[in-house]
Amino acid sequence: MTEAGFELTVPATAENVIVVRQAIAGVAEALGLASSRIADLKTVVTEACNNVVVHAYDGDPGPLQVVAEPGEGELLVQVADEGHGFRPRANEGEASMGLGLPLIAALSDSFEISGGAGQGSRTTIRFGYSPPEAQKNGKPGSVAKELEIALTPGVIVRPVLARVMGALAARAEFSVDRLADTVLLGDAVSSSGGGDFADGRVGIAIKDAAGTLGVRVGPLVEGGGDRLMSEMEVPGAGSLRSLASSMEVTKGETAAGEPAEFLEFEVSS
Amino acid sequence: MPPDPGSFASVRTGELALERNDSGLAVLTISGEHDLSTAPSLRRRLDNLLGDRTATVVDLSPATFIDSSILGVILDGRRRATEKGIGFAVVHSNGADAVDRVLEVTGLRTELPVHARREEAFTEATGAGTPPA
Repeated sequence: MTEAGFELTVPATAENVIVVRQAIAGVAEALGLASSRIADLKTVVTEACNNVVVHAYDGDPGPLQVVAEPGEGELLVQVADEGHGFRPRANEGEASMGLGLPLIAALSDSFEISGGAGQGSRTTIRFGYSPPEAQKNGKPGSVAKELEIALTPGVIVRPVLARVMGALAARAEFSVDRLADTVLLGDAVSSSGGGDFADGRVGIAIKDAAGTLGVRVGPLVEGGGDRLMSEMEVPGAGSLRSLASSMEVTKGETAAGEPAEFLEFEVSS
Repeated sequence: MPPDPGSFASVRTGELALERNDSGLAVLTISGEHDLSTAPSLRRRLDNLLGDRTATVVDLSPATFIDSSILGVILDGRRRATEKGIGFAVVHSNGADAVDRVLEVTGLRTELPVHARREEAFTEATGAGTPPA
């Protein structure tokens, strides 16, 4: 992944498109895109996600994966699914007016859709911007039932986490105060620097339900969970831990099967 | 760093508000972010209004984001209103650039049309009560 690389996997539901949209806006914000271009990017990514939500799966929603890689003067965004590919539908309900692909075409620099029956589909969008420098170091991500984000440590982490956690808290009908608390906890994770993450990327998994967000941070190296908690101490003001209804360090493993720690906490409305 | 309060407003999912003026005109105001997840509730509101043959103005001015599914619902509402001879108009007055851009790129600003002032939209909606030929 590049210095501001980004991967997000969510269940492909209409309610999750706003989460993807906010996350990609966080990426764009970190890259310094103008607000009008951020608005265009939100539209383009939303329409690509809508195609997945409407076309990819019958019955239970499968994964919707969004990967963003800044390159030379452009942001490459891929929106992928593991469904049965685009199929014509006689009745697509809300998405039947056929404006989605023209919007992607008009607001991106180029786009293509690949895939086929049983292979899932992938929309690849190239989106020009005036860039800071980027480095190449790519790596694909994994898929899960809950929302998972993997971010390269650095400037991208805070705006992405703030927007994603803000969107999920708003959806869970948190009050403005609790929404602010949730974003503060996201900020605390963002400010950890990334050195304690076992695979070098800031990994966050979030489960949301009515009135509650469950957040799992990691995989972390041994002792990383305790260090993250101790960094939440604010001199003279107690600990940000008190903003969570529960917080604990748990044992687990990395994607490669190595032992690892996770910091898990819940925030309630 | 404190959280940016500006981010909060933008992550609130959309809301719909319905008002009626003295002459019975309904104004359906769309605020915040609207997409595939909120399109069904917008469609239900429009279904109810058009089912009651209520002249309707859709006000997009406080919307911060709309996608193609919302445009689809509005276009469909416009089509049904025209078929039934019910007044229908859309307004976007000093609203978000993101919404402006989508209306512009799709050509819907002129196609619908989208009025830049509420008064113009009221005039169109209240004056369009003639059935189609």
